[in-house]
Amino acid sequence: MRTITVSSAALPRPVRRFVSPRVLIGIGLLWLSVFFVVPVVYLLFESLNFGDGSLLANYEQALQAVYRQALYRTFGYALLTTVLTLLLGYLTAYYIAFKSSRPFLLLTLVLLPLWVAIIIRFFGVRLFFLSSGPVQQLFGTDFGIMNSRNGVILGLMSALLPFAVLPIYNSLQSIDDELIHASRTLGAGQFQTLRSVIFPLSLSGVIAATLFVFILAAGSFLAPAIMGGPSNFMMANVIEEAQSYSVSLAAAMAVVFTGSLLIVIGAFNHVANVSEVLGDL
Amino acid sequence: MNERLQKLAFSPLLVVVYAILLLPVVIVVLTSLTVNQAPTIPSDGVSLEWYVSLFQNSQMISAITTSTIVGICAALLAGTMGTITAFGFVRSEIPYKESLATVMLLPLMISPVIVGLALLRFGSQVGIPTGYVQIILGHAVLTFPFVFLIVRARLLTFDDRLEAASRTLGANSLETVCNVTLPILAPSIVAGMVIAFVFSFGEFTATQFLVSPETTTVPVIIYTQIQTGLSPEISALATVLVALALVAGALGDRIQ
Repeated sequence: MRTITVSSAALPRPVRRFVSPRVLIGIGLLWLSVFFVVPVVYLLFESLNFGDGSLLANYEQALQAVYRQALYRTFGYALLTTVLTLLLGYLTAYYIAFKSSRPFLLLTLVLLPLWVAIIIRFFGVRLFFLSSGPVQQLFGTDFGIMNSRNGVILGLMSALLPFAVLPIYNSLQSIDDELIHASRTLGAGQFQTLRSVIFPLSLSGVIAATLFVFILAAGSFLAPAIMGGPSNFMMANVIEEAQSYSVSLAAAMAVVFTGSLLIVIGAFNHVANVSEVLGDL
Repeated sequence: MNERLQKLAFSPLLVVVYAILLLPVVIVVLTSLTVNQAPTIPSDGVSLEWYVSLFQNSQMISAITTSTIVGICAALLAGTMGTITAFGFVRSEIPYKESLATVMLLPLMISPVIVGLALLRFGSQVGIPTGYVQIILGHAVLTFPFVFLIVRARLLTFDDRLEAASRTLGANSLETVCNVTLPILAPSIVAGMVIAFVFSFGEFTATQFLVSPETTTVPVIIYTQIQTGLSPEISALATVLVALALVAGALGDRIQ
């Protein structure tokens, strides 16, 4: 192996003192503060109205019925996506962990799409349901997928399924086989074993999956933009649209949206440590 | 119920799940080979004409170049900052460490629309140059948590005795870091940077706020084309992206 020789005398003492782990944390915090935290907080500043009228005038506008609806729709779609994706994800992870004879292959196929840019995957879903696409050619109908809520949810499920399967599979995989055998030996049927042994022990994976899928679904811009119509726009789309005619309104909506999402994450942090959950990714 | 019957009962579910996961990518690749003017699945012959027209289109070539430059710079920046921060977090005790670690992961949780908009507004206020600089910073912020998480996970299982041995054998701190610590961490750092590169290459949502006409990236072109009219050329461009990502993924896997 190549060896780099650095004479310790060549380094002045202050430099060596400078590179302590605490300083490293400081560099990291400074970096993220300058290019992430401060810009986001700057949006908060931009959302305030320093001209005529109330300081919170933009918020009055941002909380109008039409934008409030978009906020509700965002969380509604995210919730629906989470429930459906977790249902499919859990069953798939269960099959891979306990029933499959080729778990590695199945798992690889779940992870493979993660390497493909999300915009391409949404584009692919759309290609299926276009008028020139196979579904309409074959069945003469798009089954109400194009430019609709169902299309948005289908797109989100396609994009986010790996984030459900992976953590649930990990938690199922780490269940001690002895516990399952013990349950069966003690007379529990397969379903009872699943309900009272396997499911409770896989909860950590379910929680992680819920967090990933919900957050990523709620923040999605591309799913409504590519699969939905204007009546399916979520907060990300509404903010992007508003940005072109009123930056302060867009900023106010960004604050409302991010604020409510952080409250949800905070509530979640109460049940499970978010940092640990993400660390298991 | 016997085991075979149970596996059979799962099969409709698996078909649906894997169809939802994989078919979107498959159809993109298939439609890039069509002989029609619309992106259809080729039924009467395949052709590579869309790849030819793709590589004759100077706008596409320039977008691919831009995305490559942005991806490399963002991956290097995210790799450096992610490694530095992961070191700091694992090797020191500070108050509120757990909460601060969660803050480090916020770019993953907050919608990229917010990240893009915030960087655009703040950047124009303090004079961060638009175009490359803003896009690279935005992508580095968005991908930094991946490197941080991967390197931190590796550091947590790091055998401290290796460093102690290095010191005992007479190396100073810097020599130890260069000859012992970094070589052991290198696969994780590179794997994180590969993920950062692939993510950057495909990122659209935050990027749409930050691009200028001279620095249009590949996903921005794909998005514009989806909105305006569909030519199989986008399928060809997307297929090139898929191939690139899969190669990078395979490389990343081998390194780790």
